[in-house]
Amino acid sequence: MALLDIKDLTVRYTGRGREIEAVRGVNLSLAPGDTLGLAGESGCGKSTLAMSVLRLLPASARIGGEILLDGEDVNTMKWGRLRAVRWTTAAIVFQGAMHALNPVRRVRDQIAEPIVLHADTPPPPAALRRRVDELLAQVELPAEKGESYPHELSGGQKQRVMIAMALACEPRLVIADEPTTALDVIVQAQVLALLSRLVTEQDIGLIMISHDLAVLAATCRRLAVMYEGRLVEEGESAAVIGRPEHPHTAALAAAFPTVGDPEYRYAPATSSELGLPDPPPPPSGEPLLRTEGLRVTFTGRGRSVTTAVAGVDLEVHAGEIVALVGQSGSGKTTLARTVLGLQRPTAGRVVFDGTPLPTGTRGLRAYRRQVQLVLQDPTSALNPRHSVYESVAEGLRIHKMPGDERARVAAALEAAELRPAEEFMPLLPHQLSGGQRQRVVIAGALALEPRLLVADEPVASLDASVRGEILALLLRLRARLGLAALVITHDLGLAWNIADRVAVMYRGELVEVGPVDEVLRSPTHDYTRSLLAALPTLGTPAEH
Amino acid sequence: MSDILTPTEDALAEAPPPTRGGGALRYVLTKIGGGLVSMALVVVLGFLLFRVLPGDVIQTMFRGRPASPELMAEAEERLGLNKPLFEQFLDYLWRLLHGDLGQSYVFNVPVTDKILERLGPTLLLVGVATLIAVALGLWLGTRSAWRRGSRFDRISTGVALALWSTPTFWLGMLLLAATSGLFPTAGIVYSDTAPDFLSQALDVAHHMVLPTITLVAVIYAQYQLVMRSSLLEEMGADYLTTARAKGLRDDLVRRRHAVPNALLPTVTLVFLHLGFVIAGAVSVETVFSWPGLGLLTYDALRVRDLPLLQGTFVVLAGAVILMNVLADVLYRVLDPRVRAS
Repeated sequence: MALLDIKDLTVRYTGRGREIEAVRGVNLSLAPGDTLGLAGESGCGKSTLAMSVLRLLPASARIGGEILLDGEDVNTMKWGRLRAVRWTTAAIVFQGAMHALNPVRRVRDQIAEPIVLHADTPPPPAALRRRVDELLAQVELPAEKGESYPHELSGGQKQRVMIAMALACEPRLVIADEPTTALDVIVQAQVLALLSRLVTEQDIGLIMISHDLAVLAATCRRLAVMYEGRLVEEGESAAVIGRPEHPHTAALAAAFPTVGDPEYRYAPATSSELGLPDPPPPPSGEPLLRTEGLRVTFTGRGRSVTTAVAGVDLEVHAGEIVALVGQSGSGKTTLARTVLGLQRPTAGRVVFDGTPLPTGTRGLRAYRRQVQLVLQDPTSALNPRHSVYESVAEGLRIHKMPGDERARVAAALEAAELRPAEEFMPLLPHQLSGGQRQRVVIAGALALEPRLLVADEPVASLDASVRGEILALLLRLRARLGLAALVITHDLGLAWNIADRVAVMYRGELVEVGPVDEVLRSPTHDYTRSLLAALPTLGTPAEH
Repeated sequence: MSDILTPTEDALAEAPPPTRGGGALRYVLTKIGGGLVSMALVVVLGFLLFRVLPGDVIQTMFRGRPASPELMAEAEERLGLNKPLFEQFLDYLWRLLHGDLGQSYVFNVPVTDKILERLGPTLLLVGVATLIAVALGLWLGTRSAWRRGSRFDRISTGVALALWSTPTFWLGMLLLAATSGLFPTAGIVYSDTAPDFLSQALDVAHHMVLPTITLVAVIYAQYQLVMRSSLLEEMGADYLTTARAKGLRDDLVRRRHAVPNALLPTVTLVFLHLGFVIAGAVSVETVFSWPGLGLLTYDALRVRDLPLLQGTFVVLAGAVILMNVLADVLYRVLDPRVRAS
């Protein structure tokens, strides 16, 4: 008998007279010990599907169809029975790096809670302690970490705690909802390996949800792809990725490039009908931006000195896209802040267009007009109460740009390919899609006619299909305006997609700098190799 | 993930993990230091405030009594009111450091003695009323947030708001009129009650009923409203979904997970407000002639007893500051995140 059998599941959210169909007739089944990856973009209904298995949806959800968990229909269970089934038959690994752990309780107590709750007789404290230590050891955390509060743990550690918690009652099914989304490559690889190992060892059925096909393929035997509430494709992981049948699957697969495969080089632009624009003539002479022996140190509490940037020499030429790659904590954000003049270097200097970075307020303002910032999350970067016009015009007003404001805004929107510009001007951010919002942010930067864009994870919070659009836009902007860009990312695929050169940062130093093709194909530094090795690769599911 | 605009992000990500408990003493000392600075300002303000009040103190003292100019001059001399302002201030400061708040013009006893005498009844009334109000407010707030939009929520929130906006003295008078004869109307204890502890305690309790009800009615609302809104904010939190997924009963999800988080902002408010409740007892104490600090302040104000007014001002302001410091310290105990930073 199947461990989980979902038959013709529909979920509707009702409220304020509107009805949203999140899941529209999904059939899915999972054998004991099997692994299934559920892929799709945000809003495709994959999380709703996962939550419905333990009936955790909000009261506004109307559920139809059957969810048979171990042969019992979850939808018709009495509350008492449902509570007994939760966590004992099926447990969920939430995105632990976010707020799935209670911030004011020690993680030991949070792991122990379901054990005590579901035991017939409460276990003696010593035995409970041993069991929690054992669970922590399973996820490769020392027992002392149990005494920590969530904020004292790193993202990877929190995710491990979530996994330990999910295994506490020895469930037969584990649902992992975006378990590695906020983690960087190396930690992601560790967490995925851990999860795969535990699931195999304990013969647990696993449903893993992600927007990243590569992550799913590396962990799961089968893959299912959801699109607009429907299951559009299902099959063996390698087959689904190798020969996608549905165009949406193909788009998802293309969004996560295989690093080193020439087919994916500049793929965002080559795959669109506009084609890859000719790159501007190769840079000559003086670089646009140069850092010389840049050092930034922070003095923390207790006089402890942390070196975030330890002597960095980096060059960005006009019309060049440079990717700055590294794990979180590698110092890449501090480096970017220093380049923007938001952080004063402890030693060394930043030279832009042949002149050192000004220190006065007035000089910095003029400098910042030429160097514009694009943030990761367009939703929080835009003021929700400002129209598109206001958002783009704000920079113009701050810098007192000459000429007709309206014409400049229209030109910037046009450059960011928001056409027709007039129609977008009065809209508010919530009326736009994620990709359009990021275009507005880019238009706001372009309005000031900058010469360098500093982009911090510009597509990390965007859906796969939009990601390609934005990256292609950056490539076209470079060709059309000769715009240089410094792209900060932990995503090597992104570097492979659009960058000309890549700089790998590790513990505050640039360990390897060079053309993308060279560095990512034949890395010379161990750290670059380990970054590449940590990438989940398509078509090679984890050892079974 | 990384937000380039926040300067601390990298320092946090790259610094060694903070050690717990290390800075506890420093934190407490910093808070106490801050409290002392505020207190110093209160002392200065208290002195100046009552010197710039209009009206002549000596005139007021002798109003309705036959007084020769010599007698008035002598009184002025005795109270030091003829000295320059700066010297008066130094005198005041010097005496304050020795716990001497001056001599009450009207009662003709040291202000310190008078305040100490009245502190007990006020602490009793305010303490009991606050305990009841906090318990009631937190319970109602939790219930109404958990069942948001229900009839219980609508009614209890409405009642709380109505009571909050009711003038204290008016409510007190209304209660007095409505319960005429059931409870004593004034004072803390009858003079003819037997002197043994039990009879005294029962009589005090009997006297306390109406003032306590009045005080609770006007202050519980904000505890309820703050608890309600901070719990509502936590209701969408992911860790509550985790707790439900674990199979916890609804009331356990609320008690173990939601309420401890929602309590954090509420606790600060409770303590912050405690100081104000002491001061705010003025109208309740006046209506019920409760012999506490509030009534003393009212009397001092009425007869322009300058040293007494100054004394009560300093003591009440000190109470607010003390509670403020306590709130900060308690918050640190309750919230592990504050402990770390």
